[in-house]
Amino acid sequence: MGLVLVSHSATLVDGLREMVDQVAGDGVPVATAGGTDDGRLGTSAPRIAEAIRTALRAGASDVLVLLDLGSAALSLELACEELDDADRARVRISEAPLVEGAVLAAVQASVGASIDEVVAAAEGAVTMTKVPRG
Amino acid sequence: MAELHLVVVDPSGLHARPAARFVQAASRFSSRIVIRENGREADAKSLIALLGLTIRPSSEITLAADGPDADEALRALATELAPYVSHAG
Repeated sequence: MGLVLVSHSATLVDGLREMVDQVAGDGVPVATAGGTDDGRLGTSAPRIAEAIRTALRAGASDVLVLLDLGSAALSLELACEELDDADRARVRISEAPLVEGAVLAAVQASVGASIDEVVAAAEGAVTMTKVPRG
Repeated sequence: MAELHLVVVDPSGLHARPAARFVQAASRFSSRIVIRENGREADAKSLIALLGLTIRPSSEITLAADGPDADEALRALATELAPYVSHAG
């Protein structure tokens, strides 16, 4: 089980990968696709496809992709079309917010959870309490 | 059911990294394990549930385990949390 982190910013996903590695440990393969080929803010379908292949090559049985916003979704869709059928069948896409979802997913994956459990953990980020109420 | 009462002494409370280590440690046991704080309860094997408790410094927490490896689980979790807690009462 691996993660692919997709963002308009390479700096953002590099930092997020560092955070995920520290919180969850380095047993979960994490690949990133941030920014465009020429170093601008944006997303790139070929970079996303390569990150997915990298995570799969690193030994991940399945890959959960977490993305930031806007055109990231379109680039991801194009990236999935680039993959061969066998690889595409091993990719799941998360609706979770990128930072929180990545951390929650990685910790869940680190304890050997199934892909469905990892997906559910990430999506729990949507309703997670950050600041105690009352 | 085996229980353990602890006080969080780390100035950051039970923050993300120790919480994640705790969940990873708890997940190695088959017992049902919960952490209670201020009348609320979270599954010790779920990071989101644990972070949702937003455990602050000086919080009194109870670890409770129920199952065949409950005592062993509490010993392991107490070791895991040792840098962040003191034993209450």
